[in-house]
Amino acid sequence: MSAAESSGTSLPAGFEPLETYVPYWCLDTNDARRAARSQAEMPEIQAFYDAIVARAEDAIAHVEQFELGQMPAEAERLFKLLLAMNHAAIAVEMHGAPRAIDSNWPSAVRISRGPWPHGGTL
Amino acid sequence: MSAVLDEKTAAPRFKAPEHSFTLAANLGTGPVSVEPYRSPAYFELERERVFRRAWLYAGRVEALPETHSYFIKDLDVCKASVLVTRGKGERIRAFHNVCSHRGNLVVNQACGKAERFVCKYHNWSYSSDGSLMGIPDQKHFFDVDKKTCGLTPIACEVWEGFIFINLQPTPEVSLAEFLGPFGTKYAGIPYFNLDETIVIEADFQANWKLICDAFAEPYHVPSLHPGTLAPGFAHPEDNKYARPLSAMAHGIHRHFSAYGNPQYVPAPESKVERMVYIQDTGGVLGGDAQGNAAALWSHPAINPTKDPNWSADVTWIFPNFNIDYSTGGFWTHEFWPVAYNRTKWTQRIYIPKTASVRHRLQLEHYACRWAEVVLEDVTNCERIQRGLESGAKDVMHLQDAEMLIRHNLHVLDNWVKADRVADALK
Ligand code: FES
Ligand SMILES: [Fe+2]
Repeated sequence: MSAAESSGTSLPAGFEPLETYVPYWCLDTNDARRAARSQAEMPEIQAFYDAIVARAEDAIAHVEQFELGQMPAEAERLFKLLLAMNHAAIAVEMHGAPRAIDSNWPSAVRISRGPWPHGGTL
Repeated sequence: MSAVLDEKTAAPRFKAPEHSFTLAANLGTGPVSVEPYRSPAYFELERERVFRRAWLYAGRVEALPETHSYFIKDLDVCKASVLVTRGKGERIRAFHNVCSHRGNLVVNQACGKAERFVCKYHNWSYSSDGSLMGIPDQKHFFDVDKKTCGLTPIACEVWEGFIFINLQPTPEVSLAEFLGPFGTKYAGIPYFNLDETIVIEADFQANWKLICDAFAEPYHVPSLHPGTLAPGFAHPEDNKYARPLSAMAHGIHRHFSAYGNPQYVPAPESKVERMVYIQDTGGVLGGDAQGNAAALWSHPAINPTKDPNWSADVTWIFPNFNIDYSTGGFWTHEFWPVAYNRTKWTQRIYIPKTASVRHRLQLEHYACRWAEVVLEDVTNCERIQRGLESGAKDVMHLQDAEMLIRHNLHVLDNWVKADRVADALK
């Protein structure tokens, strides 16, 4: 049993308050993160944004201890939350809405290949 | 949401050029018919006279890294499946992906490496130079001449690493003649970060030219892209309407240079954007942190007026391909017609390999900002299609910043009317 499991969190120690966001925002591909944000309601996005932004510098410092693509599972999850933070920021900082104004969901647009790691290929 | 201006950098104020891009390109100034965007009959003419006669972009040479590498390019508009190969002697060739026996598609993988291609129907096999290698139970055929039963070749030429094909059985003009002054002016540009890409695709209900047009002018940036692009590509006093720095025709092709707000920094409340753009990568279009881009900027074709307020050049190679150069690198757009009111669009953004956690976060922000810009444009194109198909309007009014659209319609009309490609190139 890993330290993370025994402490009841899937994130590195010290990031327990972010645990509640893991099921929805910890995703494997760029397009999946975009879809999650596009389909969420603004209060959910804002809550995630506020929580992750407040801990972002600490989280970056933590994941920077490891090689990209070779992080322990806990750090990798935290890294994926940081990646999702960028998508939340599009809603909070650019549109003030989950998606581009007047756009539809499902959308005709796909990020079929994102950057490595955890960008994914559709 | 709005940019704040950094008072410390006294960047030169932008002054829009005084001459008219439209008049300089010898174009008219009157209203323009919208029929090419909504007429199924016009689309059939485009199919036959433009897409079956023009040189079309198929892919970059890096997609064929080794001898026997291949990829398939589906051209819905020409109802063609094209096999592009790198055969012996490194020669890049293209063929119709159609078996000589009874016409099945031979290769069904999008890309790969194969010394021979075997048709699954009856196992006829072909080499990467297209020749027919084997016919199972050949004895049972009637004098079949293997030499004449290779894959049907398609004309294929490479310019600056970009592979173009031409579906005319014998092209009337070479790729060099087709590219004309564009091909010489834009030769020698350095391309970099060629093995990493962000790919964004969209399949949507609008005429292909509507999305070409959306990338051909910056006039809509402040209104349609208020959060995603406007702060970096317009300026509340100096350039409220994102007027271009230059716009020019190069034979049948064209470019415009986009203004970039040199004082742009993310607003204080944009905490994530400030966090991820902490690296000096050349602003919101920055992809390259290694200084590769400097050689690109100094090329005479790029930002031809060498305006310090430059952000990007959009080049539109007729009919449906853009190569765009920016302060941080380059990207391409392919706008492929499917029907008069349906388009498939692929954007490939060439990026450096992820260098660090912060760089990866920046690339994520970059990709999702781009996807959002694309979504704004696609959604908007579908609305224009509806508007035009309603029949409410017969013409549109184009301003000087929309010169590329006017030029495209003019060139397109020449191609649709001309019986010979040489005449269409005039
Ligand atoms: S159709 Fe290809 S082998 Fe028969
Ligand atoms: Fe746009």
